[in-house]
Parts: sequence; structure tokens; C-alpha cells
Amino acid sequence: MNFPMNLSDISLWLAVMAIILLITSELISSATEYSRNIIIEKKRLRVVALTLGLGFMATVIMRVFQPF
Amino acid sequence: MGSEAKKESEDKSSELTTTQYLVETIKQLQTEIEDLKRELKRIKGVPSGKIGLAFIIPGALALISSILNNSNILAFIGLGLTFWGVLFFFVRPVRYVQSSLLDSTAISTYKTIDRIIKDLKFKGKSYYIPPYPKEVYLPDYLKGLEDPVVFISADAGGMPSIEELAKSKFILKNPKGICVAPPGIGLLAQFEREIRKDIAKLQLTELCETLPPIIVESLQLAKEIEMKIEDNQIYVKILDSTYKNLYRLEENLKSVHLLGCPLASAIACSLAKASGKMVTIQRDNVSIDAQTIEVWYHAVEGLT
Repeated sequence: MNFPMNLSDISLWLAVMAIILLITSELISSATEYSRNIIIEKKRLRVVALTLGLGFMATVIMRVFQPF
Repeated sequence: MGSEAKKESEDKSSELTTTQYLVETIKQLQTEIEDLKRELKRIKGVPSGKIGLAFIIPGALALISSILNNSNILAFIGLGLTFWGVLFFFVRPVRYVQSSLLDSTAISTYKTIDRIIKDLKFKGKSYYIPPYPKEVYLPDYLKGLEDPVVFISADAGGMPSIEELAKSKFILKNPKGICVAPPGIGLLAQFEREIRKDIAKLQLTELCETLPPIIVESLQLAKEIEMKIEDNQIYVKILDSTYKNLYRLEENLKSVHLLGCPLASAIACSLAKASGKMVTIQRDNVSIDAQTIEVWYHAVEGLT
């Protein structure tokens, strides 16, 4: 009954999610005219995207020092 | 004489009946509007909370089954679904209201000021008086100088003295006029929250660079805004303001031009605060469809 994902899988998952969210947040914040109609907390979305990106970077650094 | 009195009483009773009928019709229409609004909300609104739950539940199930079956794919699916579900909860706005409600709530303030001005027969200008910076210690008798106020003068007379302003009075006698809270005082606080700085610490040029992106991008109160300093005058052009309807009202509110809409008023407050001088709205120019609002502010010399 172990969690079936290792650090490599989590790293991949983080990278995919971070890319999706970073692109979304950039598109939303740059197109001001269209994003007026999108009612979400844009700042929070950006924070989440950046956090996931940093998480991915952390896994990459871990991989550099401790290959798995 | 008797027939005249009878006619008058008949007129009065018919007037009363008409008024009653009108009041009832208005009440009925109001309830109908409320019902329609509720129905529209029900049809339109798919709350993000429900979408979030729809993602989280299958996500959690997939995660649990991935652990039980030791399945890599199920773990990916579960993690993804759970994450998106949490994200839907996380990024949903606290509460958004329709922009048309903003001017509906502001109308009463302007109507009240209009009534006061009309009643007191004031023909002067409005002067935005800068508040004292927050960190400056003020004794109790000068605490009235901490908040930004607008002085509406009775005629083209002079400015009120510091002592007079410090008393936080509504009606001032020397010079004649009234002191009211600016309609944009709330927005000014919002600007400062966004800038994360006391506006009093900014230079005018800095303010003219900082304020437009905050109004357009962060607060989305207008589509475009332009601020220019010209000698002792500041020119502001606002495109598609959220408060544009205030200028289009049938009543033609005088105070909207005198004090500016809440956005124009907040800009005047910021200018007064940043420059430390009294600021007055010299004139404004509104296009027929109110899409473009141009305001010319003028900085008046400091307090006496």
C-alpha cells in the first residue's frame, strides 16, 4: 500500500501543471480587455503557478545532487 | 364656494387614489424585478464551488484506488483532478457585483449634496483638502485634519483656515461653505492598498505613472486612463469608466461635475495628498455617450 509515484513522476506532474497554469495566468493578465469578463482571482492563480514552477525547480535541483 | 370645496376634495381623493395605485404598481414591479434577478442568477451562475467539488471527489477516489491497486496512471489522474478541484476553490473570487450597481449606490450621495447645494444656494467650487500624513502626530484638537475632505464654497471666496478645518464641522462660516467627505475616499484607500504605500510619500510625476495601471489593470475601473501634468494643472482622460452612468442621468446631477464621479474624486484626493496642496476640479468634459470623461484639476496654494 505505497503511494505509486516516485520523485521523478512528481517532478513531471509539477512541470506539466506549472506550464499550464503559467500560460493561463500570463494570457489572462496580459489580455486586459478580454480578461475583464473572467471573474477569478488572477493574483492567486499566478501565485499558484509560480509555486508549482518553483516546486518543479526544487525537484530538478534534488535530481542534480541526488540522481534517482 | 361649496361646489369649489367639493371639487377640491374630489381632486384630492382622485390624486390620492392615483398615488396609491402608482405606489402599488411600483411595489409590484419591484418584486417582479427581484424575482427575475433571482431567476437570472439561478440560470447564469454555475458556482465554481460546485465545479471544484465535481473535480475533488473523483480525484480523491482515483488517488485512493491508485494506492490500493498500486497504479501509476490512476495516481496521475487523481492528483490532477484533486489539484484542479482545489484550484477552483482557491481562485474563485470573494464576491463580484455588477458594475451598474456601483453607480446605483453612489447616486444617493450625489443627490443629497445636490439638495444641500441647492438649498444653501451655493455657487462656488469644490476644494479637495489634503490630509496630514499618517505618521505625523497630531494633538486631539487637530485630529480633524487626518481625513481628506472637500470644501464646497458658497461663492468664489477664500479658503478655510486650519483651525476651522480641524473642528471637523459640516457648515463653515468663515469663509461660507460646507465640508463633506469626498465620494472617492473609499477608492483612495483602495489605491493605497494596491500601491502599498502612503500616497503622501509619492511625487506628482510618480503618481501619474503609478495610478493609471492600478485603475485599469488591478481595479479595472476604466478601460484606459491618461494623466498629464501641465504647469499648475493636471489633465486626466478616462475612457469607459465604471461610473460613466452618473454623468448620463436624466436628473443631470450638478454635484457630479462639482465633485467628480467617485473615480475622478479619488484621483483628486490622491493629487491633493501627493502634492500637499488643495486641488480643485477646474472643469470637466463628458462625451455624449459618456465613454470619454476629461477632467482638468488645478492645484491651489497651500492652507492658510
